Amino acid sequence: MSATTAPAIKAPPSWPARATRVVLNFSRRSPMSAFWGVIAILILLMAIFAPLIAPVDPLRSNFRFMQKPPSETFWFGTDQIGRDVLSRVIYGSSASLTVAVSAVVLGTTLGCLWGLACGFFGGRFDIISQRIIEFMQSFPDLILAMAIAMALGAGMGTVIVAIAITRVPFGGRIIRSVVLSLKEMQYVEAARGLGASNKRLMLRHILPQCIAPYLILATTHLGVAIIIEAALGFLGVGVPPPTPTWGNMLADSLNAGLVPPWWLVLFPGAAITITVLAFNLLGDGIRDALDPRLRGAV
Amino acid sequence: MFSYIVRRCLFGLVTVFGVSIIVFLVMRILPGDPLVAVFGPDGFAKLSQAERDSLMAQLGLADPLIVQYMNWMKDIASGSFGKSFFRSENVADMILRRGPLTAQIGIGAVILSWIIGIPVAIISALRPNSIGDTVARFISIFFLAIPGFWLGMLVVLGLLFGFGYRAPLSSVSFFEDPWANMQIVIGPAVVLGLGQAAYIARMARSSLLEVIREDYVRTARAKGLNGRLVISLHALPNALLPVVTLSGILLGFVLAGSIPVERAFGTPGLGFAMAIAVSERDIFVMQNLVFLYACVFVVLNILVDVIIAWLDPRIRYQ
Repeated sequence: MSATTAPAIKAPPSWPARATRVVLNFSRRSPMSAFWGVIAILILLMAIFAPLIAPVDPLRSNFRFMQKPPSETFWFGTDQIGRDVLSRVIYGSSASLTVAVSAVVLGTTLGCLWGLACGFFGGRFDIISQRIIEFMQSFPDLILAMAIAMALGAGMGTVIVAIAITRVPFGGRIIRSVVLSLKEMQYVEAARGLGASNKRLMLRHILPQCIAPYLILATTHLGVAIIIEAALGFLGVGVPPPTPTWGNMLADSLNAGLVPPWWLVLFPGAAITITVLAFNLLGDGIRDALDPRLRGAV
Repeated sequence: MFSYIVRRCLFGLVTVFGVSIIVFLVMRILPGDPLVAVFGPDGFAKLSQAERDSLMAQLGLADPLIVQYMNWMKDIASGSFGKSFFRSENVADMILRRGPLTAQIGIGAVILSWIIGIPVAIISALRPNSIGDTVARFISIFFLAIPGFWLGMLVVLGLLFGFGYRAPLSSVSFFEDPWANMQIVIGPAVVLGLGQAAYIARMARSSLLEVIREDYVRTARAKGLNGRLVISLHALPNALLPVVTLSGILLGFVLAGSIPVERAFGTPGLGFAMAIAVSERDIFVMQNLVFLYACVFVVLNILVDVIIAWLDPRIRYQ
């Protein structure tokens, strides 16, 4: 008998094995997302290890090579004060992604907690919160972010806060509706009947169900956050110079004379496009894998 | 229908009021002295305390917040919208002079997005997962990722290098010189329109795919109607409802997107004025323009709701 049950009580696969299987399944189901996911990871690595990858210091000007087109020494050319554009694009990924990732994590987390509270407690708190969220959504994202970034003054922290605030309503709305439907579930009723406190219900029974929508929200909003960050930098209220970001590099190129040299325009913009493309497609893939019902909602 | 419109407008008024409070709070209460915003941290440090006080009083920033808010509302009600901090022009004149260009850009972009987006969606939805569909979807995903202002800069550069052409930089009204006016408007409108077309194509494709599976479409086919008629007369009108809703929201986003895009093209519209105001940290202009943009957005949403209710009676009676 023990011989027949032996396979059944085989130890569960260790977590690296499980993770590998999840990744393999994911890439089999949506190869396109997996491919762009790899690119997204490469870009993240580039952002983290920028100092190791960049050929030269992005802030050092070399006055012998001012505004030179791409060449063998300077693959992406140099800007008007002789800084290496390749290094600046690489360092730019670091600033742009730091802002986008922190803003999305901060904004989505706050929004989700707010939505959780709204859905759970309901009543007057919920009604007032819904009104405030509606007011916040009456601004196009970029305009709200611009106004907040300007009012707070320049700095990386303020840009993060500005973009994060524009992400709050999305988390609030979606998690609220998820919580409202969860609250009616029988297992929650059962737990309540057993005498579970509000805190326990919220943290142990409802919160875990919000993880999937949270992850989906966070990944699908990364691309938008990167574009807003670039636009803020372009308009002069992003991360202040000399820190290179893709947005403020594009803004600088406009100051390089009447006709901006093409390499100052092409490379930072291409970096934005590829990064946003990668994160958008990865986000779509993750959404389809975790919860296809949210297609179109998020 | 009438009561629906009235109800929707009343809700809109409440929203506009809430929006005005948010704008006011963002501009006044957030940490950071308004003078720091105007002069920058260095300039602010150079001012003496007496100078700071007199400037605050002069700008009306020393009054209690309620009084400031009421004064602002009075400015808006009187139609002057207050003055720019750096220029003598008042904001209302600026809106009247520059607004029409931006409005033209926005409307042009939305029209273009329909002209491109809907046919692409029909081709995609009629043969889902065919080569044409895959290509169309990839192109639309690609356009969703391109920042409009960068595309604008590339277009300006391309025209300059390729044809030595640059759109006129001074504002011309459509009624004075339609040709010069179109040259200014067309660039930003095309760039913004392409981005919106991607959203429209995506939305129209999925809603068409849903509608095509409905019973009444099968019935129309079964009674022998030809395929083209079924799509254009039976499926499309119903599939376009969500697209109309989306267009309203997108028009709001076009207005926001036109801020950096107008900056990239050097278009003398309201978006460029906003880009200047934000880089000069002119909080008075910003306060009014942000409020204006938000109000336009609210009005657009009401309009879309009313149009949808008019097109689809089911919504009206809810």
